[in-house]
Parts: sequence; structure tokens; C-alpha cells
Amino acid sequence: MWRKAILLSLREKRVFVVFTLIYTTLIFLTSFFIHLGIDGTFGELAWNFVLIFFGTSLFLSLLYAWILVSRKRRVWATFKCIGYTNKNILVLVSGMILFTTLVGFFIVIEALFHYAAIVAYINQTGANITPLILVDLVPVVFTSLIFIGVQIIAFILAYRKVLKVRPIIALKKVSE
Amino acid sequence: MSEKDIMIDAVDVNKEYRRAGAIIRALADVNLKIRSGEFVIIQGPTGCGKSTLLNVLSGLDLPDSGRIIFDGENIARATEDRLSKLRRHKIGFVFQDFNLVNTLTGIENVESVLWPTVLRQKEIENRAIAALRDVDLLDRKDHFPVQMSGGEKQRCAIARAIIHRPRVILADEPTGNLDPQSEKEVMGLLKKINKEMETTILVVTHRNLSSYGDKTIRMDRGKIVKIT
Repeated sequence: MWRKAILLSLREKRVFVVFTLIYTTLIFLTSFFIHLGIDGTFGELAWNFVLIFFGTSLFLSLLYAWILVSRKRRVWATFKCIGYTNKNILVLVSGMILFTTLVGFFIVIEALFHYAAIVAYINQTGANITPLILVDLVPVVFTSLIFIGVQIIAFILAYRKVLKVRPIIALKKVSE
Repeated sequence: MSEKDIMIDAVDVNKEYRRAGAIIRALADVNLKIRSGEFVIIQGPTGCGKSTLLNVLSGLDLPDSGRIIFDGENIARATEDRLSKLRRHKIGFVFQDFNLVNTLTGIENVESVLWPTVLRQKEIENRAIAALRDVDLLDRKDHFPVQMSGGEKQRCAIARAIIHRPRVILADEPTGNLDPQSEKEVMGLLKKINKEMETTILVVTHRNLSSYGDKTIRMDRGKIVKIT
């Protein structure tokens, strides 16, 4: 079922791309400010930003869960008609949300690895470039774990909304 | 008719709705027996209660009173999980609006019924191919619903309804959005499934499709007025 959640996620191209980009940006910014907070270069302000970004990620997860369940009510109702339980649908919705966050995490990791590699490569030739932004791996992993943790609240919301989807909706005519 | 032959037995079924302050009696003391392997047409004008009857017989809606014995089990008091399992194993649905998932291809739509099962993907794919072959739509397996005609969409929906070899297929106005030629094809296909797979089929319609059924039930104002 998780693989099918990934399939459904990828097929929802526009929503998937938009949310992946937002998650990518948020994960990067949060990791960056955690990095600054640990460094102490930005003082207390860095941690305030971290809290704001965590709050934003919570809002984003709730919004994503709401969009996935509400916009596709007829699909979930049809799935209920053909024998899906509420749990089956929750696995699909949760998988879609989780996959989007994980893709955001991997994009950040990839981008940072490439950035670090390019800087190291140029410096090897004798140049002395100081990287503008180089975030350690630990804040990125920590941020992603918190983001995934925050999504549990989104899963609870999704489950409550999935419970309310009555299979009978699938039999209503589109015009109704 | 022995008890063993009966697939669906509705006993004294009542259902009321409240709409805009008024009480609408959608089903009034409905009694009905449908034998295993029967092709039944439920016919009547809009608002006569035929869709409510279909919903109640499939466990999508609960009756206010009465019993629905589906393949020996009273589903009027079953839990939601039990009803889900019943639908997954014993019932296939065909909808007027096809209800295919637009972001999935034809074969993925058919396969989706078996996603929550323990079957391996290869086995699911083989069954979906067989179901699409049964409805003569194999050449369209990789097409998305938007790339299919109305008749093709409904055939795909029928493939989805038969992939798990259900005991009963419930079709709600399956030809409601189709032209006369596609209507013939779809009804012919349901008849073929009924004969070859011995699947019990219930078709709810406001059109005159009696010629396809073994039995036609006419409804009016929540009551069965005639069985032919």
C-alpha cells in the first residue's frame, strides 16, 4: 500500500511539486537556522526562526492532509465502496504526505552534498572560496525527523476526515 | 427456492429520510428475495427508492428496521469493518459516473481493488489483465480515463468490479451516461458475466432494460409494486 501511496502522490503532479518545493525550502531554512543557533552567530533570533518554521511545517502538513482528503473525497468514497477500510485509506493519505516530506529531505541533502563537493573541488585547485551557506548534516536530519513527527498530527486530522467520508457519496451523481 | 439458493433476502425493510423538515419514506416494508446467479433489474421513476434499496442491500446505508441477509449474513447490524470486508470479497460496484481515478491508468484502476489484499503485485497484475480481457479492453490498459470513451470507461469500471470474482455485482444506472450503442455493449457484457461467471447482478435503472434481466422489480414511492 505504501508503494501505491507513492504512485498516487507522483500522479498528483501539481500538488506534489508545490508541496515538495515548500517542504524543501522549509527543511533547508530550519536546518540553516538550527546550524546558526548552534554556532551562536545569530543569537536568540535563530531559535525564534526555528520555532516559526516548525509551526509553519505543522500548518503545512495539516493543509496537505486537508487537501488530500477533501479534494479527493469521491475517490476515497469509491475506494470504500470497493472494500477499503478507513485504515487502508489512511495508509494511502499518510504515505502521500510522508513521501513528499522525504523527497524534500533528500533534495536538501543532495543539494548540500553537491554544493560542498563543488566548493571542495574548486578549493583543491588552489582557490580559497569560503562557502556562503554550508549546513551540517545533523541539523538537516534533526529537522526532517521533527517534520515527520509533526505530521503525526496531520495523520490524526486525516483519519478524522477519512472517517467522515461516507461510501455512499460515490453513488451520488456528479451533478448533485 | 431453497434457502441455500438465496443470495440476498430483504425482510420488512424500512428507510426514512428527513429532508427540509419533511419525512420521506424511501423504503416501505420492502420484502425481496434474490437468488444466486439471478440477473435482476430494479426499475422505477426518479425518487421511487430504487437507489436507496441498492444502498441498503449493499450495506452502504443501514435500514431503519428490517433485516438484510446477504449470503447468509445479516448485514443490517454489521460493523463498518465487516461491511468493508464483505464488499471487498463479495460485491462489485458499477457506478453511473464510472468513478475511475483519473490519475490512474485503466489497469491501475482495475488493480486498485486488490491493493489492500496480501496478493503479490504480479498476481494482481495478472488478474487485472484477465479482467480487462474479459471486457475486451486490454488494448486500453495503459490509457488514462480521460483518454477513454464513455463506453470504454464503463467497461473498465466493470473490469474493476469483476477482478475479485464477486458473488454479486451492483450497478447503479450503469448506462445512464451512455449512448444507445454503448448501452447495448455494457448490458450485453453484464449479461455475459452473469451467464459465464454465474454472478448475481442487480441493475438499478430508470430506463427500460427489462429484456436483459431474469426478473424485473418495479418500484414506486418506496414500495415494490410489481415483480415480473
